Amino acid sequence: MLKIDHLKKGYEGNEILKGISLDVNKGDVISIIGPSGSGKTTLLRNITTLERADGGHIQFAGVDKDFQKLSSQDIQTIRRNVGFVFQNYNLFNNKTALQNITEGLIVARKVKKSEAEKIALKALERVGLSDRQNHYPSQLSGGQQQRVGIARAVALNPQVIFFDEPTSALDPELVGEVLKVMRDLAESGTTMVVVTHQMNFARHVSNKVIFMADGYIVEQGSPEEVFAHPSETRTKEFLTDILANV
Amino acid sequence: MENVRLIINFLGQLLPAINITLVVSVSSIILGSLLGLGLAAAKKSESAILRVISAVYVSVIRATPSIIMIFVVYYGMPLLFSGWFHVNIEGWNRMYFVIIALTLLFSAPVSEIMRSAYESVSKGQMEAGLMVGMTPFQTFYRILLPQAFVVALPNFANSVINLLKEGALTFTIGVVDMVAKAQMIVANNSGGYAWQTYCALALIYWVISLAIDKGVTLVEKSYQAKRKTIAA
Ligand SMILES: Nc1ncnc2c1ncn2[C@@H]1O[C@H](COP(=O)(O)OP(=O)(O)O)[C@@H](O)[C@H]1O
Ligand SMILES: [Mg+2]
Repeated sequence: MLKIDHLKKGYEGNEILKGISLDVNKGDVISIIGPSGSGKTTLLRNITTLERADGGHIQFAGVDKDFQKLSSQDIQTIRRNVGFVFQNYNLFNNKTALQNITEGLIVARKVKKSEAEKIALKALERVGLSDRQNHYPSQLSGGQQQRVGIARAVALNPQVIFFDEPTSALDPELVGEVLKVMRDLAESGTTMVVVTHQMNFARHVSNKVIFMADGYIVEQGSPEEVFAHPSETRTKEFLTDILANV
Repeated sequence: MENVRLIINFLGQLLPAINITLVVSVSSIILGSLLGLGLAAAKKSESAILRVISAVYVSVIRATPSIIMIFVVYYGMPLLFSGWFHVNIEGWNRMYFVIIALTLLFSAPVSEIMRSAYESVSKGQMEAGLMVGMTPFQTFYRILLPQAFVVALPNFANSVINLLKEGALTFTIGVVDMVAKAQMIVANNSGGYAWQTYCALALIYWVISLAIDKGVTLVEKSYQAKRKTIAA
């Protein structure tokens, strides 16, 4: 459904992504793990066209082109078929929880307002926040904001939702409520690509795990393969470190 | 008591000329805001040339006293127009020259206010807009602009009040605004009742700036109230 080939990206001659290839199939829940600075955020931002890759190819939603040759029409097509959940939520500060969700439906998808509100309420219900629909982001806890962020992505019914460390900015006691929502989504068949340090999620919810370091995919496979029988030394070291620190 | 009566009397004589002051101010505010927006956009643009032009313009204009700006425009522009375009604009309504001068003056601080308000809105707001499928313009207009507006409002109001005061120099090139009117009244009274006349004038300016402040407070309140009532 989404196929990335040899994606490359650098900043000022510094190569950050050194040729990443990635296949996402419908219903996949892919966890991307790896040390900080390894290029995980950069990867998601380049796939979703928040940044323009220096090289590589994308096949997605009818677009089949080198990143550098994407027209603005192609970019719009890609954006309309992905969802993105940000590390620091990025809810629209001047909109209520409900409006955060209806905005994209009404403005980008041209859905009627009443219809959009119905969809948004359903999405809020799904993340357990029906009673917060009229609250502004500043009136919500971090965990609630992130759940609205997830509802905002889900409501647009994109082909795949990207999550960039969705629980990293949260106080520990709020992590659980967000992970639960993500687990529910995964179980209902939502296609997800999740950058995370939550090893439990990676191991028990995803069907595929990718370990990244220094701009490369070092190892990938089923959670069982990567966690129980990692073949690369770097993977073993990383897992030993992170599991020791939990 | 006699003084109060005089001041009230002068108020009545001055107020009809407020039209000129308002037309000059409102035109300059609108045109200056548009120019300021352009300058702020230039300052944030990819082109190094545009950024430099905008920065130099703002720093020059900010250092120019209003009276000098008014004279430069009034005496300079007709020469420029006849020299470059062979058009004679000396016969223009003098009000136009003042409006142009004040527009130039107003655009500089306003561009800075707009730029810093824009920068105060986090980059993530734009990215979130793009990721729900909105175009950059839709996101700017619906998400960034309303947030920047609230941030800019108090400083913008300050600049408007400054502009209003600088507009009091309009009389220097012979436009009959309230200040010119006051001078005429004093002259008609052979220099008598001067302080009462100018007090009446100051009162008018005070009331206008009070009204501006009040307006800003109301707008800010309505923004806050909206959030409270909805969430309650
Ligand atoms: N806009 C940018 N300009 C320059 N360097 C950047 C930029 N964004 C990311 N980087 C660099 O790219 C590297 C990878 O960053 P990132 O993708 O955020 O890593 P991760 O998400 O895995 O922690 C880091 O060294 C970071 O400093
Ligand atoms: Mg990151």
